[in-house]
Amino acid sequence: MAALQEKKSCSQRMEEFQRYCWNPDTGQMLGRTLSRWVWISLYYVAFYVVMTGLFALCIYSLMCTLDPYTPDYQDQLKSPGVTLRPDVYGDEGLDISYNISDNGTWTDLVHTLHDFLEGYSPAAQEDNINCTSDKVFIQESFRAPNHTKFSCKFTTDMLQNCSGLEDPNFGFEEGKPCFIIKMNRIVRFLPSNRTAPRVDCAFLDQHHKDVQPLQVEYYPPNGTFSLHYFPYYGKKAQPHYSNPLVAAKLLNVPRNTEVVIVCKILAEHVTYDNPHDPFEGKVEFKLKIHK
Amino acid sequence: MGQKTPRIYSVELNGAKDMKQTDKGDGKDKYRGLQDNCLELRKNQRQEHLTKEIDLDDHKLSNKELETKYHTNIVTGLSSTQAAELLARDGPNALSPPKETPEIIKFLKQMVGGFSILLWAGAILCWIAYGIQYSSDKSSSLDNVYLGTVLALVVILTGIFAYYQEAKSTNIMASFSKMIPQQALVIRDSEKKIIPAEQLVVGDIVEIKGGDQIPADIRLLFAQGCKVDNSSLTGESEPQSRSCEFTHDDPLETKNIGFYSTTCLEGTATGMVINTGDRTIIGQIASLASGVGNEKTPIAIEIKHFVHIVAGVAISIGVLFFIIAVSMKYRVLDSIIFLIGIIVANVPEGLLATVTVTLSLTAKRMAKKNCLVKNLEAVETLGSTSIICSDKTGTLTQNRMTVAHLWFDNQIFMADTSEDQLKQTFDQSSGTWASLSKIIALCNRAEFRPGQERVPIMKRVVVGDASETALLKFSEVVLGDVMEIRKRNHKVAEIPFNSTNKFQLSIHKTDDPIDKRFLMVMKGAPEKVLEKCSTIMVNGQEQPLNNSTAEAFYTAYMELGGLGERVLGFCHLYLPADEFPETYSFDVDAMNFPMSDLCFVGLLSMIDPPRSTVPDAITKCRSAGIKVIMVTGDHPITAKAIAKSVGIISANSETVEDIAKRLNVAVEQVNKQDAKAAVVTGMELKDMSEDQLDEVLTSYPEIVFARTSPQQKLIIVEGCQRQDAVVAVTGDGVNDSPALKKADIGIAMGIAGSDAAKNAADMVLLDDNFASIVTGVEEGRLIFDNLKKTIAYTLTKNIAELCPFLIYIIVGVPLPLGTITILFIDLGTDIVPSIALAYEKAESDIMNRKPRHKKNDRLVNKPLAVYSYLHIGIMQSLGAFLVYFTVYAQEGFRPSTLINLRVEWEKDSVNNLEDSYGQEWTRYQRKYLEWTGYTAFFIGIMVQQIADLIIRKTRRNSIFQQGLFRNKVIWVGIASQIIIALILSYGLGSITALNFTMLRPQYWFVAVPHAILIWVYDEVRKLFIRLYPGSWWDKNMYY
Repeated sequence: MAALQEKKSCSQRMEEFQRYCWNPDTGQMLGRTLSRWVWISLYYVAFYVVMTGLFALCIYSLMCTLDPYTPDYQDQLKSPGVTLRPDVYGDEGLDISYNISDNGTWTDLVHTLHDFLEGYSPAAQEDNINCTSDKVFIQESFRAPNHTKFSCKFTTDMLQNCSGLEDPNFGFEEGKPCFIIKMNRIVRFLPSNRTAPRVDCAFLDQHHKDVQPLQVEYYPPNGTFSLHYFPYYGKKAQPHYSNPLVAAKLLNVPRNTEVVIVCKILAEHVTYDNPHDPFEGKVEFKLKIHK
Repeated sequence: MGQKTPRIYSVELNGAKDMKQTDKGDGKDKYRGLQDNCLELRKNQRQEHLTKEIDLDDHKLSNKELETKYHTNIVTGLSSTQAAELLARDGPNALSPPKETPEIIKFLKQMVGGFSILLWAGAILCWIAYGIQYSSDKSSSLDNVYLGTVLALVVILTGIFAYYQEAKSTNIMASFSKMIPQQALVIRDSEKKIIPAEQLVVGDIVEIKGGDQIPADIRLLFAQGCKVDNSSLTGESEPQSRSCEFTHDDPLETKNIGFYSTTCLEGTATGMVINTGDRTIIGQIASLASGVGNEKTPIAIEIKHFVHIVAGVAISIGVLFFIIAVSMKYRVLDSIIFLIGIIVANVPEGLLATVTVTLSLTAKRMAKKNCLVKNLEAVETLGSTSIICSDKTGTLTQNRMTVAHLWFDNQIFMADTSEDQLKQTFDQSSGTWASLSKIIALCNRAEFRPGQERVPIMKRVVVGDASETALLKFSEVVLGDVMEIRKRNHKVAEIPFNSTNKFQLSIHKTDDPIDKRFLMVMKGAPEKVLEKCSTIMVNGQEQPLNNSTAEAFYTAYMELGGLGERVLGFCHLYLPADEFPETYSFDVDAMNFPMSDLCFVGLLSMIDPPRSTVPDAITKCRSAGIKVIMVTGDHPITAKAIAKSVGIISANSETVEDIAKRLNVAVEQVNKQDAKAAVVTGMELKDMSEDQLDEVLTSYPEIVFARTSPQQKLIIVEGCQRQDAVVAVTGDGVNDSPALKKADIGIAMGIAGSDAAKNAADMVLLDDNFASIVTGVEEGRLIFDNLKKTIAYTLTKNIAELCPFLIYIIVGVPLPLGTITILFIDLGTDIVPSIALAYEKAESDIMNRKPRHKKNDRLVNKPLAVYSYLHIGIMQSLGAFLVYFTVYAQEGFRPSTLINLRVEWEKDSVNNLEDSYGQEWTRYQRKYLEWTGYTAFFIGIMVQQIADLIIRKTRRNSIFQQGLFRNKVIWVGIASQIIIALILSYGLGSITALNFTMLRPQYWFVAVPHAILIWVYDEVRKLFIRLYPGSWWDKNMYY
């Protein structure tokens, strides 16, 4: 096979490149004359304008098909996620540790809780109604002002000992910390039909067999989310909706050892056994209280 | 003629030296200088080889001297121990095979060639990224390690695949060239032994007989009617007689030396081995050929060019966005990961494998058409060929003498020269014909090998030389069973043909029971035969030979000779019964019979006729813009006649000599511009400077080189290559191998070709037929077109793979398409369709356009890249984004929410990310949605790639002109795309590592309108190209 490539010196290449950039004989810049550049640019501008227009049209018609209140599919939201406050993340998930005697280690945690509960102050909940029923709160029509639906009030005082009102330190100081458990919102999701979903916190598994089981005080009592907070009708229908909360006050956390605590939501339609998703229907966290 | 060729051979070397000197004179061009160096190197080798030749003086020695020189004995041969010692000293008597690249190097080359480097870089970046992650956070996810491993695996697998493909095609060749081990009959320890020829050593006494290949260079000690075919060494196809006499100083010309690898055609001989293995003359030439390096094929250059373009785009976009990402305050680690994504998206991982498959498919198709391609890339080279330097004998012609014309009764008759002549149609009623046919049948020593009654006459094997064979077959066709006729006309005496008397004579009893006279028949050189005649037969009657009849004879003789045919004269004489009674004993030495006053009967001329398919093939070449140059060792007149009859010199073009003859002026006075054709002999070529040769090559469209040595072929090839042509060269002899190597594509003859030629060639013509080259050219051009389509198809989706990353970096939407998913497109859904494009039929008659210009018509040109990237690619991206946005919107994330969501979206600590409806998502739920997004984007691309595949079927014609269903493989490709996508989404959707999820069925159709839009847009593009050829649109949109 023969040589097809000629070796060009660097200066030759540079010269060629210069000629490509500006060719004085034909008046071409980068292979085209100025007018050619204008034409080709015009073509591309037109082409992209048309394409963008078509795309915008597609997106517009897509938006038209969407229901403003309910998403079309909730394939991934079969069961709600659960979150914890205070939320301090370590290498692997939630990892909370503090020293009772060093209040610098827990003031941040307490702050987080206070900040979080701000949204549940009576002032913030002003637009919501008081609900007392123990049943799910089905609203088919938009009776609330501004064509919305009613949301039930959830105020901090419902958390009693863990409301931060009586004990602004949420029990952190005496080593019986409060943790607030929140269930994620899912539009039109009903955790169960009859019994209210309940939070159940315990030590995670074996290596604490010798230790006595975790003692927890739940607020509201029994650690239930009242059914009247469900279903959620979406941001547009219930602009003021706030998730119901459950606070768990851990009473007998061993000192100076790291324990893993899991808080599950026990309800008919809530699953907590998805191996891939550690936050579905439950929340796990490490806790280490130094003394 | 046979004796002249070697002279040309040696003189040519001096010619080459002159050439070198003129070069030194100007020496301004660096490139030429470079080439000169290697030329010089080769010349030195050749020079050395020549000196060695002159040193060879064994032919001058007497048998006694030889015995002492080689410590052997002519009668008893070497002893076994001696032989073993010599074998240990000199090594086996075999040509050392051309140096092979070690397999591991070949394999490693595949690992680093093409895009592999880029992907390795990607893989290593992945691992570095993980390393950085790991050093700061011990529990970081292994995703990057997986990705890096996958990338490395992709490189290794495609490398293994390419290596396997290459090995497979090499193996075909290896099995092809493997020959039955040669045996030699040798005298050792005073015993005749048959040993493998490899074990021969110098001093061995070997016996050879007709049909054998000469096992080493031997000095003949005894020979009987021995003739050898030296064509593989000298390119001379005439058999040459060998004897034990020292006839010439030059070892190449002396009759008492037989050369390794030449064949003994007839007779027997005994000789002493004087050179073995690489030290033989052939061995020296073969090693010369291996010195000419293989260089890049045009397609390899095109692919390199393409890789450069793609790599350039990948690296520049990658670096650009790395800088953008860093300046947008992304972490460097993230920016590195973006960089990897951009590289992976930009590199068409599957393309090089596809190209290999495509080429090997074509190679297979060509093999079916008798073109065996050794080097896959040569498939395309043939398509870009602009000059074919073709041999005459065997390639353009049938390689057998055939009776072409007869002259008797003052008339020239034409005989049928086609390959399978069943009957001759000329007028056979004349009495002269009866006599002539009898002479033809009787005055002939050739015989059919027995046991071939069922074989068609033309295919039967004959013992005898070429002319006699032609005559035998001719008379067998015309008269029927010649052997039977000879039996009935018993031969009583015979003088075989020899070069001194130039005739052949035999005396027969006739089959006429009444006529007891002997019939003496003679054939030979016409003028010699005529000398012996006093009468001539016209219309069956003997007439005195007078001036006018003699003139008629000479006119006919010149005319037939002018056609380049070999003319024989025939005459006979019935010996008077009174002088030669039945019992008369003829003595051929005493010549006791009359040798004058014979009766001249007629002339018969023979030629090696052109193959019947060749003229058509030449016409095709011409319309395809390919110049066919004939290079032959034959006589210029024969060469020109054949060139004319096959169309290499077209009917109405004239050479300078023709014009001079027609105008009756001296050759020098003719205006050279008027001549279209030229016949250049080796002698003329020898005296030409490079510039003169260039002038000849450029100024004449039709050129025949006659009387050239195989070495001069190299000069011709180099001349053609100076014209920027892609040159194909055919050859069969060992001496052709340097030219075959030098050519852009060397084509060896499968039947007549020597091993050395086949080794040096890129392609082997299994049927030695020129027409097969033309089919090869057609396939080569088609593959070039189809590769363009394949590449355009493959490049398009790169934009659709790249855009997600860019949008992800700039707009901050969740990543629309994962890196692993990209690999599934590149190496999954897109593979079969891109191969399917190789089966696409030509859009128009590809044999009606000029060969592509290797510097201007690139495989990947600007319009192709621009149209694929900036038109269809962008449309495809938009379509795929539409699917992506649809999925997210219907799951709760409207496009407006997605913007700038990236940071929150990817935080593992955010497990309550709010969507447009106020719903809250955990990290895993989001991740799963992200994978659904990947799948959606993937499906979007896949659906539009179907449209892309369909539009790529043609570049100019409408799809409806081409036919949607003509290429069934395209539909196999589409089906494979859909099936692979279905399997990935629904079958493997549960394997999280693959990042595929089960996609709702309706999302498969979201991109369909975009696919249709792509189709319509491309139809419009093609319509305008057809409507306004040469317009602005055509220039910018036709790739």
